Amino acid sequence: MRFFTPEWAEAARAAVDAGPEREGKLPTYWNWIDRARAGYTATWALGVRETGEYLLLTWKDGKCAEAEITSDPGAADYVLAAGETTWRELREGADPGRVVMYRQLRLERGDVLAFFRVIYFFVESLAALSRIRTT
Amino acid sequence: MTELTDVAESDLRGIRDLDIDDVLAYVHRDLKRLPGYTELYKRYLRQRWDVYELDFSQDVADWRERMTQEERDAFVGISAGFHHGERQVEVELPVFMLGGSEESKIYMSSQIEDEARHTVFFDRFYREVVGMPGDSVQDVLDASFEHVSETFVGPFGLLAYQADELRKDPEDPAARVRYGTTYFLWIEGVLALSVMKITLTYCRERGFLPGYYTGFTATCRDEARHVQFGMRFLRDSVQEDPRLLLQIHETLRTILAINGAASRRLALESLGWTPEEVRRLMIRQLHMKLTDVGIAIPPDIREMVSRIEPELAGG
Repeated sequence: MRFFTPEWAEAARAAVDAGPEREGKLPTYWNWIDRARAGYTATWALGVRETGEYLLLTWKDGKCAEAEITSDPGAADYVLAAGETTWRELREGADPGRVVMYRQLRLERGDVLAFFRVIYFFVESLAALSRIRTT
Repeated sequence: MTELTDVAESDLRGIRDLDIDDVLAYVHRDLKRLPGYTELYKRYLRQRWDVYELDFSQDVADWRERMTQEERDAFVGISAGFHHGERQVEVELPVFMLGGSEESKIYMSSQIEDEARHTVFFDRFYREVVGMPGDSVQDVLDASFEHVSETFVGPFGLLAYQADELRKDPEDPAARVRYGTTYFLWIEGVLALSVMKITLTYCRERGFLPGYYTGFTATCRDEARHVQFGMRFLRDSVQEDPRLLLQIHETLRTILAINGAASRRLALESLGWTPEEVRRLMIRQLHMKLTDVGIAIPPDIREMVSRIEPELAGG
């Protein structure tokens, strides 16, 4: 499966909706994620800086309902972008928490405080979609 | 009990003999008065220390021969956050320096230098004592990141994104207050002082790691200037425009909302701290800043503060 294709976008939607494997982390951490996700409604646009393409993920009531690849993030609540190197490092196993802490994925548009109120839910979603096998 | 003037005037050799509780008292002594930015800058010039004068030779012996594996794991787990944190604030502070008065900018240049020196302190400790590999500062940071917990990833990540927000307009009062709340009130005023109290009390009571004790106690004294600058900045901002209090509240709501997430447990009991003691320590640190500076908080935030979880201990 090729990165940033419609097929990959659907796989990404399914992956973030299912969430990552819940191994090796405290149950209380996953409880926090579940609370953050419950009823969550927002659209994330995750972009590749060099190509200008975005993965648009639409969350409705805690479910990731839609995904598409677009060059127009339009009305997404949170528009983020990273360089190809960062995306490659994520697919190769880089820690998504570190990618956030080191601001390798920049928030180009959206309310910073509101975005961070669910930050570990976002980090785990990033982990889930980074594990999709690509060629 | 040491005289607080000893805390203010000790050189690096004298700092080794100070009690961390006296240094924490020194941090809070001036919170009601809140010195001006020029006074804080003068104090920096008197208190600056040379991180390369620290001697870690006894620390190496303590680490290898006297501390248990559980103690080493807990120590690395709690201090790794500030290994990355010091680096993080060193690179995120310059954007804050772009705004404010000239006195504020001059003072801020000293704080940026402090943070760079603290980064070198942790780099030396992790390289020379813990034995983490690497030819560069980044190599050692890479080696220690796996120990950094959500307690630090969330607030330091938030600060990084707020720095980006501030970069668009470094004079934006609301963005400066949001940034200042995360950095000066929470990271410096609560997280840093709690980590200092926990690790330095352990070192002092056990008689371990004299190089770390000296360097991190000197760092704690530096924090007095940082916290006092930050609290003055927040107090003055709100006095100038009371609507900015809402920015402090919204930022605190976010920080407290993410505070409870911890993906792994740190056995801080091995350092002599129970989860409940850590919880009380963090609440006390936050209350002291808010009360002394006169930052009122609404009932919902008071409730969130009372529910602070001892996430440093993963509890």
